[in-house]
Amino acid sequence: MQLKKFTLPIFDVKNLSFHVRGMDILKNISFEIFKGEYIAIIGPNGGGKTTLIRMLLGLEKPTSGEVRIYGKRLQDFKEWYKIGFVPQRASLVDENFPATVEDIVKMGRVANRGLFSKFSKKDAAFVNDAMEKMDITNLRKKMVGTLSGGQRQRVMIARALASSPEILILDEPNTGVDVASQQRFYKLLSKLNKEDNITIVFITHDIGVIADDIGRLFSINQKATICNNPKEMLSCDDMSSLYGVEAHLLHNHKHGH
Amino acid sequence: MLEMFEYEFMQRAFIAGLFIATLASISGTFVVLKRYSLMSETLAHSALVGVAVGLVAGYNPLWIAVVVAVLSSWLIEYLRSSFSLYSDAILSIILSGSLALAVIIVSLGGAFNNSLFSYLFGSILSVSSADVITIVSFGSLSLALLLLFSRELYFITYDEEVAKTSGIKVQALNFLLVTVVAIIIALSIRVVGSLLIGALMVIPTAAALQFRVGFKETIFISLFFALFSVIFGMTLSFHFSLPSGATIVLSVILMFALSLVINKK
Repeated sequence: MQLKKFTLPIFDVKNLSFHVRGMDILKNISFEIFKGEYIAIIGPNGGGKTTLIRMLLGLEKPTSGEVRIYGKRLQDFKEWYKIGFVPQRASLVDENFPATVEDIVKMGRVANRGLFSKFSKKDAAFVNDAMEKMDITNLRKKMVGTLSGGQRQRVMIARALASSPEILILDEPNTGVDVASQQRFYKLLSKLNKEDNITIVFITHDIGVIADDIGRLFSINQKATICNNPKEMLSCDDMSSLYGVEAHLLHNHKHGH
Repeated sequence: MLEMFEYEFMQRAFIAGLFIATLASISGTFVVLKRYSLMSETLAHSALVGVAVGLVAGYNPLWIAVVVAVLSSWLIEYLRSSFSLYSDAILSIILSGSLALAVIIVSLGGAFNNSLFSYLFGSILSVSSADVITIVSFGSLSLALLLLFSRELYFITYDEEVAKTSGIKVQALNFLLVTVVAIIIALSIRVVGSLLIGALMVIPTAAALQFRVGFKETIFISLFFALFSVIFGMTLSFHFSLPSGATIVLSVILMFALSLVINKK
């Protein structure tokens, strides 16, 4: 994929480092993410993937370095509704929480509203549209606690979509989800990227399944190795030194085609 | 049964009671879902310090109770966010500390008497016109704030981090919630008593959750249980001369038991 060098990146990350009690979690990470990209982040457990995402979202403060969103420093950025976040535990909700599917998806409209404004027709349209896209309209009156892992995951993404984000960030969204649902899920993500032009960044460990679609691959293990064209694995060969197993998996998967 | 309303004190008690049932059950939904149940107990004991000061110094105990409870809620939030302490340990320390302080103040001031008893367990006889005005005015303000931010609070209750990344001012709203809860608890001690108000805040929601329905429905069921318990409890209190807090709490526990039976899997 050609990088749009002349447009403003959504995320501009420069020399980002994160230490905890003298330990390097992330070291000197720099990258840009542009509109319309489809990026997978892989890396071993404890390699810092989740920490990186948390810093992009302002949930964690970097030890040094800087994150800019749409050109603005994190603390000055106000348009958070443009960013949809689906955390790792999304499919593992509290079963007793009093919420229907619709209640959860409606949460996606809360941050967009004015203080005294009620839930409007426009809000309802966004909610319906998000449920339609995630194919959960028929579940709208169901309690989230009664859904399967795969259904819950689609509910969480619908919540993120309801705010009409320009970028979706997902942290290992497939934790606790069966294989059939995973594949369906990747198709949905790919569709959102292609048809709705939503930028997608997600952490995953099952890179084999999605290698056909993704634009770029970030491997995070303290440092970042960025593979600009995962379809031509040669360009990513230095990745195997950092993160051998997954890169090989990807190789094998590709050779199998 | 309606002859009890011929007494002015019963009219006052009912206005105060129904208001408090509404406030306690709606705020209680957020309290329970945020796992703040123990906090309501703690704030009730802090409110007692205000009552003690009021009784000894001769000020309106309800007003001072509101002030002390609010200050205590801020102290709890500050300790929770600034020190790495277990939050239930913090609550437990402030709960017993407040009770000890209240007892010392009352003993030194020589006010250890019936009027303190009524603040511990609630009394329908003791609700004055000034109390009703305080409850209705502070209560309306609290209710307005809760309703105004109910959707944000619901989101935060569901997932604080995702709410934060959506641009919701999570810290400010958490602060607002504990402040409003502190006010509501302090207002409630006239009718329900400081030892029993925690129950009116937590149990209606705990009962409503058994029905496994959506957010709005859960709030309505909780509201219904709270209103019913207050009406039933105050009526019992009137006819059998019992402390109203005790009869209200037993009524709400009855509702909880029924909810468990009805919704048994």
